[in-house]
Amino acid sequence: MHKLILLLLILATRVNLQAQYPGYSVVADLSKFKTEFSTAAQKTTAIKSDFIQEKNLSMLSEKIISKGKFWFKNESRVRMEYSQPFQYLMIINKDKVFVKDGQKENKISTKSNKLFQQINKIMIDCMQGTTLSNPDFKTRVFENKTTSMVELSPVTKGLKDLFRSINVIIDKKDFTLTSIDMLELSGDNTHIRFTNKELNATIPDALFIIK
Amino acid sequence: MLLSRMRYLLLSSCVFILFACSTAYKQMPSASGNLNGLQKFKPVFKVALYNTQVDIMGNHFSGLLLIKKMPDNTIRMVFSNEIGFKFFDFEFSTDGAFKVYSVIKQMNKKSVLKTLRKDFELILMDRMDSSKVSVHINNGLLYYIFPNGNGYSHYITDSTGKDLVRMERASKKKTVVEAIMKNYINGIPDTIGISHKTFDFTIGLKRIER
Repeated sequence: MHKLILLLLILATRVNLQAQYPGYSVVADLSKFKTEFSTAAQKTTAIKSDFIQEKNLSMLSEKIISKGKFWFKNESRVRMEYSQPFQYLMIINKDKVFVKDGQKENKISTKSNKLFQQINKIMIDCMQGTTLSNPDFKTRVFENKTTSMVELSPVTKGLKDLFRSINVIIDKKDFTLTSIDMLELSGDNTHIRFTNKELNATIPDALFIIK
Repeated sequence: MLLSRMRYLLLSSCVFILFACSTAYKQMPSASGNLNGLQKFKPVFKVALYNTQVDIMGNHFSGLLLIKKMPDNTIRMVFSNEIGFKFFDFEFSTDGAFKVYSVIKQMNKKSVLKTLRKDFELILMDRMDSSKVSVHINNGLLYYIFPNGNGYSHYITDSTGKDLVRMERASKKKTVVEAIMKNYINGIPDTIGISHKTFDFTIGLKRIER
């Protein structure tokens, strides 16, 4: 009888997880995934790509779609340049963030801004393959045929108020980032998809300079 | 830090409003206006996205403001930054009701919400009670004055009523907020500006074509 209950519980948990993310199942060998992800990320010193960002406002049945270009270079440097339908530039260089909207420029130190520091860390971790060791989140890993999905559930107070989870989709071929989905408590989400990826492209350091 | 300073200043301005005592524009000569003509400046939001610039106390930030008229005729305003992080989600009803669906903790202060609510109500032009309006003229401009709580809403047009020159939120003695709406396309203003007079706080909206 106990064995039957246990079996039913295992089945129920598995069905529940699969229902949460249709087409995905839990990664059985997590340590193997961690090693492969980390090893592949270490070989990737630079990434250049396009991106499409979709902000879904569920209760308003509205989507805000924006597009731009993305650059990553080791260590800890990211540049996101939105070009449609608005102009916006964000550069992350280690613990500094620079933003330019229209004609205005703004420098932010992530040391003095906890939230920026946490978001900054997610971005960099995704690129460097260290996502699974971020102490701000509880992580679970799922997979389908072509991708792995790292589900990051916030455990720290600031992030818990903002996000239900942040799901990072990784291409199984090269372990590079395919998309990030930021799920809010309200049911809204922001999905950023990376396309036309060039791994280890030559990217000038000048792109990340914060004056 | 920034929001606590804003809160302090908002409270200070509220105290000032409470102790002020007569209207500035009521000294002006009365005039006959055209309320129906004023209605044409009321924005007809179906759905509009605005590039948003906010400057407060020497600090600057930007984002996107989505304004949408819902099937029940309420207006929803959602403000997020460019990378999708949502700051607030408000609902305005035509009967004057206001609902906060979500707001980040740092902005969730009574004084901040009250200020934003009043600023946006001014530009939505929903609270224009024709039975309480008084119209005045000064320097070739028509002033439509509507009592609004402890203060007033002013809608100021040229003498012909063709152009909306500016809008104001005022105490009994002093203008507290000035706002403009310009370049209407199909009933939706392309440019909206809100500027506080009692402390350094401006909001600039420029419509984005999608």
